[in-house]
Amino acid sequence: MNAHVKFAPAQAEPAAGEALIRFEGVSKRFAARRGQAEVRALDGIDLAVPKGAIVGVIGRSGAGKSTLIRLVNGLERPSSGSVVVDGVDVAGLDEAGLRGVRRSIGMIFQHFNLLSSRTVFDNVALPLEVAGVGKGAIRQAVEPLLELVGLSDKRDRYPAELSGGQKQRVGIARALATEPKVLLCDEATSALDPETTSSILQLLKRVNAELGITILLITHEMQVIKEICDRVAVLEGGRIVEEGGVFDVLTRPRHPTTASFLASVTGIELPPDVAGALQPAPVPGGQAVLRITFTGENATTPVISRLSTTLGIDFNILAGRIERIAGRPFGSLVVSLPGDEPGLSAAVAALGKLGLGAEVLGHVA
Amino acid sequence: MSPELIRLIWASTLDTLGMVAVAAAIGTLVGLPLGVFLATSRKGELFAAPAINAVLGLVVNATRSTPFIILVVAIIPFTRLVAGSSIGTAAAIVPLTVAATPFIARIVEGAIREVDQGLVEAARAMGATPLQIVRKVLIPEALPGVVLGLTLAVVSLIGYSAMVGAVGGGGLGDLGIRYGYQRFMPEVMAAVVVVLIVLVQAVQSFGDVLARRLNKRLRHS
Repeated sequence: MNAHVKFAPAQAEPAAGEALIRFEGVSKRFAARRGQAEVRALDGIDLAVPKGAIVGVIGRSGAGKSTLIRLVNGLERPSSGSVVVDGVDVAGLDEAGLRGVRRSIGMIFQHFNLLSSRTVFDNVALPLEVAGVGKGAIRQAVEPLLELVGLSDKRDRYPAELSGGQKQRVGIARALATEPKVLLCDEATSALDPETTSSILQLLKRVNAELGITILLITHEMQVIKEICDRVAVLEGGRIVEEGGVFDVLTRPRHPTTASFLASVTGIELPPDVAGALQPAPVPGGQAVLRITFTGENATTPVISRLSTTLGIDFNILAGRIERIAGRPFGSLVVSLPGDEPGLSAAVAALGKLGLGAEVLGHVA
Repeated sequence: MSPELIRLIWASTLDTLGMVAVAAAIGTLVGLPLGVFLATSRKGELFAAPAINAVLGLVVNATRSTPFIILVVAIIPFTRLVAGSSIGTAAAIVPLTVAATPFIARIVEGAIREVDQGLVEAARAMGATPLQIVRKVLIPEALPGVVLGLTLAVVSLIGYSAMVGAVGGGGLGDLGIRYGYQRFMPEVMAAVVVVLIVLVQAVQSFGDVLARRLNKRLRHS
């Protein structure tokens, strides 16, 4: 990110208004198989997806996120609890009832799941055929969708002739064909390279903004959460261990799992020579290495110079980065300063008073 | 070779083609739905009916494990019931069909099982009924494999049809045995073999081309 970023005024987190999807006390157990104990895939899940929001669920493989997203359209049934989508408890529906609900819920997949025997146009048309829509109406619905995802020129191609990103665009167009209120994204970018991932995420963001479709996505990549989500839930061992607005969770993670997901996307790598020399205990006469995090409103405050002048401490900047999370600036800076007490504690306290995060990473000689 | 013999070979070829075509057609008509059902009726699948699946699987296996020549003789009462007679070319179609049906069913089952389960999940997520999933997803996606399997079935049927001479069925196999072997006419035997080779080759090439046309997975941009 360049140095001339204009910091927008801090936006409020989207209000948790009317929830379009609400998980209430949802548990899912898979029956014991021979030689294996019963598997608790999900355990006491409470989660609300506000109307019009993009909500991400992040977790490692096996955390239960695939099961969670499949509860929304009834591909999986909860063992207990309720999953209410647009006022209807899908857990209480039979297969015929579910089929109706599914037509108002679009879904895209990690491996796209396009029919190899159908052209792009016919793939997008499939949900409409399934819903019994006539040929003329199908054409009228599919053409603008292909336009939206930028694949009008590929309408008569087969999936085998497309790149991964193009296939996912077809998947998105197909998911939107029945004009759903909800779009479920099952690891939709996990099979794509970073650049393509970005373009697909931008498309999803557009779909959310222009069509007002609520998006629930699952991923194991914090990058995805950071780029498009409004809210995030962190899933670990079938439980939600942390949930909230993306900016809050990413800048002030409270659970170690969240922090470990964040390591790769926020903050900064230490220069290798510093990282290698880092010690947990203070070194007499040495330096302390401090990570300072700037969030939203105070990202622009000239704190370093103020600290230097008021406390008389010289900071040495080792690394730094400013990025945008959920549209708001977030900076982190790694500095070294004299590690002797009480100067170090005073500096940390002073930073805290300014509303900055300060964390002693270690000490160097 | 006399014109008489040539006419005989021509007539036998038509007999063989007729028997094989009818047996393959009926076998496909019955074997296709049977195969789809076998592929989709295990526990937890679209048309879950594990008990019926097990019974049908057993029947299919029993038929498949009986050597064709024994099957021909064993089902003579059934053949008489269906064809009105147990001898002749028309009657020979019955055991050929009985052998072809489970063979085709297993081939179709295999091809359907090859279809990516993700596609079934995507179709379910669209709100498709099980029957729509079969018609719009499973069969179209399995079609190249089904066509290759049917080709194999037809080639096998051509081979089987050579054995129906045992119950008075005509055709090339019968001609080869009666003229080529029993009357010591090696040129007839050679001619029969050549015609069979040409037939099998033609069927196989046709099947290969058709399957390749239908397979949209191998296209390169």
